[in-house]
Parts: sequence; C-alpha cells; structure tokens
Amino acid sequence: MRDVDEREMLFRRLSAALGRHGSPGGTPSSPAGPTPPPGKESGRISRFAEALTAVGGVVLSGTPEEALPVLGEALRAEGVSALFFPQDDAGAREVAEALIPFGPFTLTTGEEVRGGNPASTAGFRTADAGIAETGTVVESSNRGGTLLPGLLSDVHVALLPSHSVVERMDEAFALYAEDPPRNISLISGPSKTADIEQTLTVGAHGPRKIIVLLV
Amino acid sequence: MQPTAHLFPRNAQKALADKTLQAALGRATGRFLHHRAEAVAAFPGFGEARERASEIKRQTLAQLDHHLGRFIEEASRRGAVVHVARDAAQAREIAARVAKEEGVTLAVKSKSMASEEISFNVALQEAGIEVVESDLGEYIIQLAGEAPSHIIAPAVHKTREEISRLFERKLGEPPTDSIPALVAMARRHLRAKFLGAGMGVSGANFLVADTGSVVLVTNEGNGRMGTVLPRVHLAVAGIEKVIPRMSDLPTFLRLLPRSASGQPLSSYVSVLTGTRREGDAEGPEKMHILLLDCGRSAILEGKYREVLKCIRCGACLNSCPVYQSVGGHAYGWVYSGPIGAVLTPLLVGLPEAAPLPDASTLCGACGEVCPVKIPLPDFLLELRADMRSQGLKTPGEIAGMKGYAGVMKRAGLLEALERVAGLLAQFFTKGKPVEGLPYPFSGWTERRDFPAAAAQPFRKLWKTRRGVQG
Repeated sequence: MRDVDEREMLFRRLSAALGRHGSPGGTPSSPAGPTPPPGKESGRISRFAEALTAVGGVVLSGTPEEALPVLGEALRAEGVSALFFPQDDAGAREVAEALIPFGPFTLTTGEEVRGGNPASTAGFRTADAGIAETGTVVESSNRGGTLLPGLLSDVHVALLPSHSVVERMDEAFALYAEDPPRNISLISGPSKTADIEQTLTVGAHGPRKIIVLLV
Repeated sequence: MQPTAHLFPRNAQKALADKTLQAALGRATGRFLHHRAEAVAAFPGFGEARERASEIKRQTLAQLDHHLGRFIEEASRRGAVVHVARDAAQAREIAARVAKEEGVTLAVKSKSMASEEISFNVALQEAGIEVVESDLGEYIIQLAGEAPSHIIAPAVHKTREEISRLFERKLGEPPTDSIPALVAMARRHLRAKFLGAGMGVSGANFLVADTGSVVLVTNEGNGRMGTVLPRVHLAVAGIEKVIPRMSDLPTFLRLLPRSASGQPLSSYVSVLTGTRREGDAEGPEKMHILLLDCGRSAILEGKYREVLKCIRCGACLNSCPVYQSVGGHAYGWVYSGPIGAVLTPLLVGLPEAAPLPDASTLCGACGEVCPVKIPLPDFLLELRADMRSQGLKTPGEIAGMKGYAGVMKRAGLLEALERVAGLLAQFFTKGKPVEGLPYPFSGWTERRDFPAAAAQPFRKLWKTRRGVQG
C-alpha cells in the first residue's frame, strides 16, 4: 500500500528531525490545565444572553404565552413563511406547531428544504447546550440529531433548556470527550461575511438570524 | 501554486501604484487591528491563553511524531482514511485519485491555505472534476481567475463594482451596487453547488489527536455546509496542525478569532470526527484526511521549528507596515506578510524567495501580536543572515555594510565624513534628496531616493542646543 509506505517514511523523517534514535518517542507531556474563565461564576443565563445579543443573536425567555407572540412577530418580520423541525424533536415540533396561529406559516420538512424549498424558512431544533462565555449554542449529531435546521434555514430557532447552559467552552467539549459524535457544531451568531468591501453582511450561507428560545 | 516571491520588488511597485488596492488595504488592516485590540482589551485572559497556547504548540512539536501518530490512529478508528503526502505533486496525485475513486464530478471547497500550497484545484480540474470555492471571497477570486490576497479576507482588493461586473459576466446576474444583493446571489449559486456536490473539501484549523477530529472555524458557515451535505468529506491539512487533546481546543478558540477579526468566537466552529454513525440523520459516508509534509519535517529539524506553531490568524499581516503598503499578492506565494516572509523561504527554498526576509522594517509588531508567540522578528533577521551565508546578498551590499560598521565604530572618522558629506550635499543638491547616485551605488537609488546629508550633523546640533539650554 502506497499510503502506508508514505506514512512510514513520514514518521522516519519526523523521528530524524526530532533527533530520536529508533522509533517514536515517549509519552506526551502532562496536560496543561484549562484556561481560567473570563467572567464571574454567577448569572450564567444573563451572561449567555448578553454575549449572544452582542453578536446579533436574539434571546427570548418567559412562558409560552409571552414568548410565542414575540417569536411569531420576529419570524414574520424576517419574511419567514415555512417552518421545519426534526421529526424526532418533540420540543421543536411543539413550538413550531404552536406558532401556526401567529403566522401565516406552513410546516415543511428538512428533506423539502434540502430539495430546494423556495419559501423562506425557519428551522427549529433543541440545542445540546449553551455556553455563557461566548453566547454559543451547541448542536451535534449526537444520538442521530440533525443539523439541517441550523444549516439550511433562513432563520434558526434554537430551543435551549436553561439548565444546559454551561459557563465555559471547556465544559461543553467535555460533554463529548468520551465518544465524540461525527459533528459538534458551535453556533455563535448569524452566518456572516465581510468579504465584499469589508462590509458586514448576514446570511452568507446559513441563517441570517439566530433566535434562542430559553425553555 | 508557483512561487513568484523572487519578483517581490516588482510586485510591490505594482501594488503601490494601485490606488484601489491602497485604499482597501489601509481600511482593511486598520479595521482588523482596531477590532483585535478591542477584543484583546475586553478579554483579561488573553495573555494567559497566549502563554498556554504557545507552550502547548511548542510541546506538541517537540513530540510531533507521537501526537500525529495518535491523531492518525484515532481518526482511522472512527472511519476516516488518512493519506500522507511528502510533497505537492504527490498530494495532488492522491487528491485526484481519491476524488476519482469516489466517483466525484463536483466538489465544493472551503478555505484552506494548505490546499493553495499544493494547487489542489488544478489537480482536480486536470482530472476532469469541477471544484467550486465556497468562501465568498475565495469564490469571487476564483471567478476572476486570481489568487487570494489576505489569509482571512482573500478578495480585499476588489470593489463591489468589480464584483457586480464579474457576477454579470460569469453568473448572468443583473448589475447591482448593493452588497447584500451580491451576497444573496452568491448564496443562491453556491447553495445549488452544496446540494449537488459529491465531495466537500475543507482545510483544518486544528487536528485533535486524542479524538482524531478535524476542527473548522468559519463565519459564513460554508465549512459546515460542505462537511454535512456531500457524501464524501476530504480534509487537507499540514502535519503541524495537530494539538494533543480536545480539552486544548478552548485555549486556541479564545485566541484565533480575537486575533483574526476581533470576535470572541467566530459564528461557526465544527468539530468533525470520523464518518457518519449508524442512525445519524446526515453526514458523509466517507471521510478522507490528506496530511501534508511539503517541507514541514525539514523545518521541524532546524532552528525555525517554532514557525510551525502558526495558527494562520493573519494578525501579523495586519500589523505589518510592509504588508499594509503592498498587500498579499506582492509576496508571490500562498502566505504573505511577516509569516509569509518567514514561511515561504523555508517551504520553497531561500533562493526562490530571497527578497522576502528583507521585506520588513523589523519594527517588531508581528512578534507582539502573534497569539502563539512565534519570534517572527528574530526569524526575519536570522533568515537575512542565512541569505548572506548562502551568497544571496550582493558583494556590494556586504562590503557596504562592513564599511558602514567600520565608520560607525570610529567617532573621529564619522565626524570627519559627516562634515565632508554636509558640504558636498549643500554644494551639489542644495539639501534635496538625491534621486540617482552614480555607479556602483546606483542600485541603492533605483527604488528609493537617497537623503542628502544635513549641513550640520545631528550630534553637533545636540551639543550646541544642550549648551544653550544648560
């Protein structure tokens, strides 16, 4: 096998470069501890909301009676006409269906959106975790979870259980360290670009707006 | 990519004459610097994270064989196929072979400097495979048939009018002067490519050894589109990108976006580990990782090892007065600015890239902003010494510098010469700068004026004024 030979030769070059005699060297040095947190330990949820709002995200909380009309209004303002959610995500389904009276909204599926649904869409999904340090929503393919709602839609609505907001990135990665799923996705704000005349523009490839609904 | 670094003086002159580029460069580098400074000031842990990141990288490089071995083992265990390429030609061959064997006809690619090193697109195009750049800036310059001019803002040299004309010509779009409209056009065209592509090609900001993960950091979200939707994911990365543990990632993620664009975190970070699992809703069935040596093991052996710590943030570019003036293209290869002036000679050979280490004022700004503490100013000096010992400096330059040193060490001689020079300057040029010196010094004034000697040497002025005051 060419690849295996080439690999062997690479390791020989590396050993020589590192002045090793014989084959690859000892154990790696002991782990450096994590970098200390940038903020204080209290007020995790408000720090999360502050950080995400600072980068253009929207954070909604309160009872369904309070939050749903606000969310519906926000989606209409973005020109959203179709809503989709993963079939196995009961929380996302519940919120999307409850929004219908605040429409006009129709329901669509991830497959339709993937097939090029021309309507302006909002994709719903329950997030794995939130990170206060950076105002980040964490979503993954853990347990078969789909990333399409936060990937293909024009507006992404992430449902975030308040108890799953952690302080720092370190804690979020630790959730997956044992057996990482194929895809861990950290989302911190809308999809954006400044590639044309350094003018910040949202909606480059992914959602132009991210709304987090604290549940 | 074929290096033209030896043409730096000519390329730089062209860049200096380009008014659009000059305006864009001034604005871009100023904006990046400003945002970086604000982000660093707002994050008290920056200094500590910098120390830690530098130390992790240093230790990792000292045992690169171990960590890289671990990465290959873990990635393979999770279904990835890992390839190793010694040089660019071999990397191109592997990339084309993988794409053909996977039956790919269309590939979407997110930004990767490593792939530029090996002319990745050419390799696939020669194999009859269409490759579309999906980072907006890269897409624009691909349509225009140009090369990137900044690590994180590749199309910084183009105006919206130019881009609109380009989209009109290449995509059949109506003309517009609205930037959001241009972005929407690109989004529409690229979305179709993402959905139709058989392979997504990415680089890697980091390779995580203890999990075999490839980490991508983007703002547009193109990196995640191309690694979720297509059936095959191919990641191209230099061997130095490895970090030991997933728990090291936060340290680097606290530094990279702040240093690059002044953001606390980029919009998207994807940690991609192996192929899709059973029961997964989506994700690639096949994952290939192409690791590039391409001169890196040789750098690892020598005195410039620490340059391999680079995380490609671009902060040194923005802070460099030379880069601010000439932009990226003048450096004649993939990497520009101070990191390019060090890396290019080491990767393509000093004779090929000889003028680059001189393309620096040695002001030290690059070393100060580097988030992993690469001693760039020291390396630039060291490379100049290498140029000399390899005979890449002209004998005139060496003799001139020796003479200069000789004079500067003798105060009496210096004073005498200053007096003569002052008189000559008053007589011949009336104190104006000299635009052309006679041979054998004419080379000096080809690209710059020679300042006329002052009528009164500074040291004499200093003595007199102090005398008056004190």
